[in-house]
Amino acid sequence: MPDIKKQDTFLSDLLAKETSLNGKSTAIKKLRQKGLEDVQKTSFPGRKDEDWRFISLRELYSDSYIPASQIEVTLPDISELFIEESKNARLVFVNGRFSADYSSTDALPEEVTLGNIADLSADGEALVDKHLNAYGDFEDDIFSSFNTAMLQDGAFIHVPKGMKVDTPVQLLFVQTDADEPYFTTSRCLILAEEDSEITVVEDHVGVGENKYFSLPVVEVNLERGAYVKHTKIQRESMQAIHIARTAAHLKQHSNYESYTITIGAKLSRNEPRITQLEEEVEFTVDGLVLIDGDQVSDTHSVMDHRFSHCESHQLHKCVINGKAHSVFNGKIFVRKDAQKIDSFQENRNLLLSRKGLVNTKPQLEIFADDVVCTHGATIGHLEEDEVFYLKSRGLNDHQARELLTYAFALETIENITVDSVQELLVDEVHNYTSRTLQNQD
Amino acid sequence: MSETEALESMVGGEYKYGFTTDVEYEDFPAGINEDIVREISRRKDEPQWVLDFRLEAFEKWKQMDGEPDWPNIEYEKPKFDEIQYYSSTKKKDGQKKPESLDDIDPQILETYEKLGIPLQEQKQLQGIAVDAVFDSESIFTTFKEKLGDAGVIFCSISEAIQDYPELVKKYLGSVVPKGDNFYAALNSAVFSDGSFVYVPKDTVCPMELSTYFRINNMQSGQFERTLIICEDNSHVSYLEGCTAPMFQENQLHAAVVELVAHENAEIKYSTIQNWYSGDEKGQGGIFNFVTKRGHCRGDNSKISWTQVETGSAITWKYPSVILQGDGSIGEFFSVAVTNNRQQADTGTKMIHVGKNTKSTIISKGISAGESNNSYRGLVKISPRADGAQNYSVCDSMLIGQTCGAHTFPYIESANPTAKVEHEASTSRVGEDQIFYLQQRGMDEDDAISLIVNGFCKEVLKELPMEFAVEADKLLGIKLEGSVG
Repeated sequence: MPDIKKQDTFLSDLLAKETSLNGKSTAIKKLRQKGLEDVQKTSFPGRKDEDWRFISLRELYSDSYIPASQIEVTLPDISELFIEESKNARLVFVNGRFSADYSSTDALPEEVTLGNIADLSADGEALVDKHLNAYGDFEDDIFSSFNTAMLQDGAFIHVPKGMKVDTPVQLLFVQTDADEPYFTTSRCLILAEEDSEITVVEDHVGVGENKYFSLPVVEVNLERGAYVKHTKIQRESMQAIHIARTAAHLKQHSNYESYTITIGAKLSRNEPRITQLEEEVEFTVDGLVLIDGDQVSDTHSVMDHRFSHCESHQLHKCVINGKAHSVFNGKIFVRKDAQKIDSFQENRNLLLSRKGLVNTKPQLEIFADDVVCTHGATIGHLEEDEVFYLKSRGLNDHQARELLTYAFALETIENITVDSVQELLVDEVHNYTSRTLQNQD
Repeated sequence: MSETEALESMVGGEYKYGFTTDVEYEDFPAGINEDIVREISRRKDEPQWVLDFRLEAFEKWKQMDGEPDWPNIEYEKPKFDEIQYYSSTKKKDGQKKPESLDDIDPQILETYEKLGIPLQEQKQLQGIAVDAVFDSESIFTTFKEKLGDAGVIFCSISEAIQDYPELVKKYLGSVVPKGDNFYAALNSAVFSDGSFVYVPKDTVCPMELSTYFRINNMQSGQFERTLIICEDNSHVSYLEGCTAPMFQENQLHAAVVELVAHENAEIKYSTIQNWYSGDEKGQGGIFNFVTKRGHCRGDNSKISWTQVETGSAITWKYPSVILQGDGSIGEFFSVAVTNNRQQADTGTKMIHVGKNTKSTIISKGISAGESNNSYRGLVKISPRADGAQNYSVCDSMLIGQTCGAHTFPYIESANPTAKVEHEASTSRVGEDQIFYLQQRGMDEDDAISLIVNGFCKEVLKELPMEFAVEADKLLGIKLEGSVG
């Protein structure tokens, strides 16, 4: 008898519990079947896998979860989570299910499609059929396959050729409070046609302090000349487990700007994967992680330069306090003949506490000679000289440290163009620094 | 000549040390099993505790899952049953260890002469003592007496086992344990010869020490073991050089080097590795799987690794330092050049345990041809390493469009008072740099040569003065063809 551990069948067991999946789209049904097969084929990652060696998933598989569809939804007033600029350009999902009551798309031009993947017009359905699950090489990843097997509702954005959308779109994923741990998945498909432009704010919020397992997958396709600005805010409950994957495909002259802010969840994992499909593209994959207590945050990014003339940028900053543990692995690939690549990667860690832990592994894999690729990683604490300087200017110790931590974090969010999101994040940084510096030993 | 061609010809110099020496070998069966391990020990006339050490290691090796598969290298696994684990030349009847150079096979002497390492003391550069290792055995060690006057022991490890068993027993396997990794375990089971250095308290070793490793036998592997111990307030500088003939087959070289530095002691270990690297199609060459580790046991001790890696079909090597003593310092300076089908996965580990420990890593990788060059390093700051500091730079240079450069730095910090900085870059010889030098009157080849040398300068300047000559010579060969 082979020794079957709990984690080996963990995800399949969860899938078996979810029996309420339905929907009219045959394409989605087919994908679901494929996802199910992939989950059964793929093994659950463990510490022996290079990509998972620094974190333990015990927190995830040691518990049992029920499908989110089986819990009773009690939702507090969520209107304060709405972004001002995205008034009437918003999709809301509660525990993974589309909520028509809270969603509104009136502010967008008619040509732009913003809606639920499971409930689209015939044109929209044809697009979903063609593009869903087409980006990001998901086969080897059991969590994305799980997401695919769970496909039902999801956000779909289609920006037609030449259309520049000024109104930022908010995709709000709310996870409710519940007595029992539950699991939920969500899916986004963003299609930006030639020379189009759109700003998307993906916001994951846990309204309670409960444990749940959330697994979002986002796919973005940028046709020639498209410009997509994508901000992801993860503020799940402090007991939650959040395992996410974001994949973007870029064609010529397109530009993908992505900012990922990690604040919540006990265990979170982000996997941005940017793939260049044609020459001359630009992209940014910045991130900010603010963790405390026993939070674990893991970012594994892939920047895959396959053709010449690409400029890419990654600044990933982490502030670690308490017993928190931050992991970063940023892979930069430059494939053969992908000349004239200018790629920059930096991971900076501010370790504030004795019990915190940082693992970082910036990684370059270069197969072309005419490129400029640099990466850097630093781990340090607040400079006592700087603290002293501020104190000599009349700030007390606490204020000085708070100001310096705040300044450290700010660099990654000041490029976000949606004002209220910036304000929101500034507040979050502020909350973090004042909370965390009080807890300091 | 185009810029790329010039660059390629620079790194494409021919291997000059590829000749073989025709000597008679004692018979020794190929393959590995307990009897082989016992036989090696018997031939070397070792005490029981060494045999036990070997057998335990062999037991561990057998139980291992096989070769590590995490390095970024591709190769056909060595056939461990076909390798000859011990290879010694035939001795005259009844003779054990040569008393003077007259006792040594003139062919072997000639070999070393050809390699530029004359064993006659008067012919040598002053101030370098050499231990010459030919296949599995140490042939001769020079300047033993002069070193003895200073209290420094410099001899082959086999001699040390006989003459200073208590020292060897105390330290052997204390830095790299028997079952540390696949190749270290194999080495511990079948190690043949290598150097032993012991520097007593308050002693500055009066001369540079050097070991020259030569693999000559086609069927054999080389499994040498080096152990360097530096007592309180002492200093030693050590260099190893390696060459091998050109064979169509791959030879295995699995060495273990252990360094121990006590309080205020300093060990400087330099390597010039120029094993045969295989031909353009990747035929032949040495598999260089080496475990090197230093242990800064005492406070304020220092261990410094400098390596110039130009040879070997495959290099798999991570000279490391465990910084245990408070205020101890670890350094790693490396130039790794790969060409044709060579593959290198090399780097270092700096494990900070003590307070206020410091480490510096400077790594320069140059890849050309169809080679792949990887830097893989670990910097680990343990929770009690207050005030630890690390500074790492790893730069890669690519020459041509068919090679690859990879960087895998692992950084882990669990102490908020520690400071870790890592930076890496990948670039090529800039057109504007060449242009600048050309308009100053240099031709293109000289310009490129100057730039490549400048790229490595930070590391080359760390080599001991006496060996800088040798390193220059070696890089010169690798860079041959740069002029004209």
